[in-house]
Amino acid sequence: MTETSNWLLNVVIFLPLLFAGLVAFLPSGERTLVRGTTFVGMLLSALASVWLYLDFVPNGPEFQFETRWHWIDALGISYHIGVDGLAVSLILLTGFLGPMVVLASWGTVQNRVKEFHLSLLVLQTAMLGALSSLDIILFYVFWEAMLIPMYLLIGVWGSEDRVMAAVKFFLYTLVGSFLMLVAILAIYFISQPNAGARSFDLATIYNALVGANRELSACLAAGGENCHLSPVAATLKTWGPYLFLAFALAFAIKVPMWPVHTWLPDAHVQAPMAGSIILAGVMLKMGTFGFWRFAFPLFPANGREFQILLAVLAVIGIVYGALMCLAQRDIKKLIAYSSVSHLGFCMLGMLAMSKEGATGSAYQMLNHGVSTGALFLLFGLLYDRGHTRLMADYGGVAKVMPVFAAFFLIITFSSIAVPGTNGFVGEFLVLLGTFKSDFLKYGFGVFAATAVILGAAYMLWMVQRVFFGEPSHREAHHLSDLNAREIVTALPFVVLVLVMGLMPQPFLERIEPASARFVARATLGSPHAPADAARLLRMEVADLPPAESAPKIAALPAAPTPVPAPSPAALQAVEIPPTVRPVETPVRRPIERRFPQLQRVQPSPSARQP
Amino acid sequence: MVPITHYLVLAAVLFMIGMFGVMVRRNALVVFMCVELMLNAANLTFLAFARQRGDDLGHVNAFFVIAVAAAEAAIGLAVVIAIFRSRGSVQIQDIRTMKH
Amino acid sequence: MESIQHFFMTSPFDADSVRHALWLIIALPALGALINGVFGRWLGRANSNLIATAAVGGSFVLALLTFWHINDWNQVFTTPFDTRPIRYAVGMDHGTWFSAGDFIVHFGLRVDHLSGTLLLVITGVGTLIHLYSTEYMSHDAGYWRYFAYLNLFVAMMLTLVMADNLLLLFVGWEGVGLCSYLLIGFWYSDPAKAWAGRKAFITNRVGDFAFLIATFLTCLVMWSFVKQANVDNFGNVTAQQAFATGLREKGPVDFSGLEALARALPVDPGHAPTGTPAVTLQTEIAQGPLSGITYGTVLTAILLLFLLGAAGKSAQLPLYVWLPDAMAGPTPVSALIHAATMVTAGVYLFCRMSFLLVLSPTAMAFVAVVGALTALFAAVIAFAQDDIKKVLAYSTVSQLGFMFMAVGVGAFWAAILHLVTHAFFKACLFLGAGSVMHGNADETDIKKLGGVKRKMKVTYVTFTIATAAITGAIPLSGFFSKDAILHAVHGTTLAGHEAITHLVWILGLLAAAGTAFYMTRVWFLTFQGDRAADARIPEEKVHESGWAMTVPLVLLAALSVLAIGYGIPLMSAGEHGREPVMENFLRPIFATAESITSAQATVAVSHEGSLAFSWILAFVIAWVATGAAIFAYTRFFPSRAGQPAPAFAKRFQTWTRDKFYVDELYDLVIIKPIRGLASLLFRVVDAVVIDTLAVRGTAWVTARVGSVLRYFQTGDTQSYAAVMALALLGGVAWALVQVLK
Repeated sequence: MTETSNWLLNVVIFLPLLFAGLVAFLPSGERTLVRGTTFVGMLLSALASVWLYLDFVPNGPEFQFETRWHWIDALGISYHIGVDGLAVSLILLTGFLGPMVVLASWGTVQNRVKEFHLSLLVLQTAMLGALSSLDIILFYVFWEAMLIPMYLLIGVWGSEDRVMAAVKFFLYTLVGSFLMLVAILAIYFISQPNAGARSFDLATIYNALVGANRELSACLAAGGENCHLSPVAATLKTWGPYLFLAFALAFAIKVPMWPVHTWLPDAHVQAPMAGSIILAGVMLKMGTFGFWRFAFPLFPANGREFQILLAVLAVIGIVYGALMCLAQRDIKKLIAYSSVSHLGFCMLGMLAMSKEGATGSAYQMLNHGVSTGALFLLFGLLYDRGHTRLMADYGGVAKVMPVFAAFFLIITFSSIAVPGTNGFVGEFLVLLGTFKSDFLKYGFGVFAATAVILGAAYMLWMVQRVFFGEPSHREAHHLSDLNAREIVTALPFVVLVLVMGLMPQPFLERIEPASARFVARATLGSPHAPADAARLLRMEVADLPPAESAPKIAALPAAPTPVPAPSPAALQAVEIPPTVRPVETPVRRPIERRFPQLQRVQPSPSARQP
Repeated sequence: MVPITHYLVLAAVLFMIGMFGVMVRRNALVVFMCVELMLNAANLTFLAFARQRGDDLGHVNAFFVIAVAAAEAAIGLAVVIAIFRSRGSVQIQDIRTMKH
Repeated sequence: MESIQHFFMTSPFDADSVRHALWLIIALPALGALINGVFGRWLGRANSNLIATAAVGGSFVLALLTFWHINDWNQVFTTPFDTRPIRYAVGMDHGTWFSAGDFIVHFGLRVDHLSGTLLLVITGVGTLIHLYSTEYMSHDAGYWRYFAYLNLFVAMMLTLVMADNLLLLFVGWEGVGLCSYLLIGFWYSDPAKAWAGRKAFITNRVGDFAFLIATFLTCLVMWSFVKQANVDNFGNVTAQQAFATGLREKGPVDFSGLEALARALPVDPGHAPTGTPAVTLQTEIAQGPLSGITYGTVLTAILLLFLLGAAGKSAQLPLYVWLPDAMAGPTPVSALIHAATMVTAGVYLFCRMSFLLVLSPTAMAFVAVVGALTALFAAVIAFAQDDIKKVLAYSTVSQLGFMFMAVGVGAFWAAILHLVTHAFFKACLFLGAGSVMHGNADETDIKKLGGVKRKMKVTYVTFTIATAAITGAIPLSGFFSKDAILHAVHGTTLAGHEAITHLVWILGLLAAAGTAFYMTRVWFLTFQGDRAADARIPEEKVHESGWAMTVPLVLLAALSVLAIGYGIPLMSAGEHGREPVMENFLRPIFATAESITSAQATVAVSHEGSLAFSWILAFVIAWVATGAAIFAYTRFFPSRAGQPAPAFAKRFQTWTRDKFYVDELYDLVIIKPIRGLASLLFRVVDAVVIDTLAVRGTAWVTARVGSVLRYFQTGDTQSYAAVMALALLGGVAWALVQVLK
């Protein structure tokens, strides 16, 4: 980390927004200018994210490139961003997809070009922000902010049934989000006694709950009856399951896990190519990322109560998604259902709570972003030529579009995890982690592994229907092969597929410390917790900088409490400084002295209390 | 010295009159005046309590209410005039348009 | 003699330069594939041919030099798992491929006598087939694509045999499957051919599924073992530490690690010189997801899963169905991939892991029985096939069954010997068939050929030699290798499964007879007799192929003869007299397996049976079957289209011709139900239950509630105010009641 680290992350996040401001002032008729400006903005952000990625020290502190500013001190909300190994990897993916998406829709989007690119830029900032937020409210703001541009992308630039799909997408996601907001507020209050002050800072809340969660784990392991719990732990015992489920539902919808996946096929089918790429490439990972960053670390004991249930849903998702693919006629729907299957792997690896599984899960998130993003991209290019999504309407495409077919085949092999491509490394690690898991029986791994067969079956079936045989329609003879711009767009995906398959180590290196921490936190208090867990539990973040001028209201210190149940001495140490005492005590003149006759009707405040 | 109860009873009576007027009168201008009556009932309550507590808080609130009432009267009258111009009537049953 | 031996057993290179050049053997064909694949369209036919053939040829030269090097007396190779060096091997570690948690896997290459032998076969036969292809594909517009795939295949196959760990082997394993998919479906405009490629890939995937699970279980066993084992397992503390170090550095899937595991896992319980009993096959795994299951059980499960994996790749029961359909690819592809190299990967896998296999007699019995049943079953199906390539395909399945039989009884060297000789004669047969097709306007139906020998002399002679080799009618290489297998099966008993080997032996003899029968039939109907009436072209137009096709034929036929040398007992083997060259040559590889076998008595090998007896038996069987075939087809079986089969053979003919309806059975039992389930789930669960009932149902209820509530919105402000006032009053009243109570 160098001097640049202070602003680099901010640059990555807000460059697209800055360019959105620029684009907003461009005349909407100047389409090429709008596209060019957007592309430059995305490209700069992508380059900055590469820089960020390379600058990230794999074995350094958990969160790097941290920035923490005062925001709404009164409520304990601060502008706090920073990245760990998983977030920085996903940011790299997001940054990479940004310019690709602009390039890919260069020739396809023709109406409302300016608004389209504005949406893309705003969406990019929202996604990057959500990935790097370390304050839960900040995360929530970015999380919700993602919805609006995506809603517009589907609803305005989508295909025939776009409005239905957009509304479905929006409402589905919103249901989970609102429950999550309630849960966020709840932990804000629950964590307060241990945190010493109310704060929405993730690390403060997390560190405040560690002790209580450990107590709770011990209690649940002993049967959950007759435990002597501290007040916070007791609250968690009662309300924790609901809070975890609220978080889990929000994230599960986004993932999407079975059975809350039905928005995805509609959204993907109706979305324009750019929307599909971003949706599949990044937004679905927000769900898995949320589980990883919030749901399990905050509620490890409650989370493990639902671990088996979630793992069953994940395996169902894997197999069910694959079976769905076999029943599709629509290519985009098939790719969408394959996402359900692949994201099931991400969830399963995480739920295995072994380092191999978690690492594989994180890697699978990247893989899925690259390969499914590329599938949607390539299909989008085909759709521009053929204007149909049905497999039956194609056939023999390999003959007229050989370069396109070669690209598509390579991506297909990545999607079905042929060794040597990126998909294999992720899937292998996920399955290995599942087999190695102390929590899940090997049946989970066996069932999940059937996707190896089914995946090949449906992808190759689709490839055969589209590419092989004789062209079924006369128009198919006139499909033109990829042009230079399209090759430039698709080539990086193919290169990445091979690089990530043959040299995954540089990527895994950054993910591994994060997955070790995830496993340590998720297995907190369990007999199967890894040996080095204690060292990795605590979330270390930067403190709020001291306020420049004397703070008018309360600048609540976000002082983290020690990890085990806080001792009184520790609580003393984080006592609120005298200058920032928040409670206002109005100077009250004794009334009786001036209005003695009113003494009779003035009940004393203490007397009214009970 | 008049005890506070008297003020409160008076304020309640005024408020009820105002509320009854708002609910049953059909002329928008009269309804409007009834609203003013309710506001002033509230003002009276504020002042009574301010007197009892011996501080300025009630007065401050009363001034607020007066200011808001003035603004409301201005806008409300403007609305009534606009409605009269467009419909030729200020009877409430004639402007029942916010319906499903 | 002494000096010749000295010459061949002294490497002209130093170990380091060989080590560092190992990757080139794979890289050359891979580079060829890249150049042909990306730039092939602009290169021109001659350049494309040259690049592809030269890449494999160069690889062959490098393989030869490497082979020379590993024959050096002094060549040793060490792994972190073992303190003792391994002789006659060379290895190179190109660093970590990936790691996570406890798992790590390296890009490790290793060439020893086993992989060295296969290297030579792959690159040697590969070069010849590339040469052959230059003419065979001379009229095809997609030649550059073809050579790119073929080169990629060779690179993948080399990765498979040179890998020093299971996972890198799996890269090659899936990689060859992938190339096979591409090459079977090479003429993709024909949906049937593309479908055949897909069928091959998906059937292989079933095997790969088992392979993967076996790999995971192997990792679990390694991790459990290193925690649970004590010094007695390893003999001394140094070895124990070496094992732990190796596991940490090289990961749980390294073959040396598995070998060390096999050595450290004795069968005999109660062997406890230092207090706590050592871990044996009967010990239960202490912790982790497999806790409570014994090592022996897990090991057997692992091996059976590997068997399923190998059955997929090597076309054994129950996954053999893809291979006959794979004949949709160009004939040289069938020769290289579906006869000589890829399909033998399963045999190679078990030979690589011979030390694990011999720990479980149950798994061995399964392997042997699967092999024997496949050998016989495929031979029977081959009786009534009329497509020359289909017959050869079933013949390949059958011969692979022989190799599995050998593996199953622990005669690994015999399996490898048969693998090598089979590569020669079967490649020769396939290329000969290709040559016949080339000269007969792509006719593949043997009933529409006939009399080809008069016009295609070279093809005829080479095909005859190869047929003789496979049937054993004349003691050529195939005779010795097949006999070595049958002899080994006859003389071996598996602990706990004594009757199995007798059964396998009988099945093997029947399959051998069958082989002679159907091969003679093909040879006879194709080359002998009169030209068929409905032949595609008249006899005058039949022409011999060019030199690029005949030279490989001649060379392969010569190799089929010369490979006799491997099968004849020439080498001294101490008290047991003499042993075949191949057995002696592969001894360093299978030494661990042999020592485990003898120490733990899982396999009893009797040296009683006379080799001469089994030779005579095999010879008699071959001649009886050959004679029967010639007799039958000259006298009363249909040798040409239109001739009806005699009544007594009709039912049998229908069943064998229709392959015992196995494909239809699979379709009915597996594919249709899965498809049905998929569309059922899609139409009922996804569309109706989740989307309509749950999702739209929620929306519908919300909308209905809203439209009911709409009636309360009258637009009358005064009634709103009245409601508000009443509510307020009610609230105040309630509060008053609460306070007063």
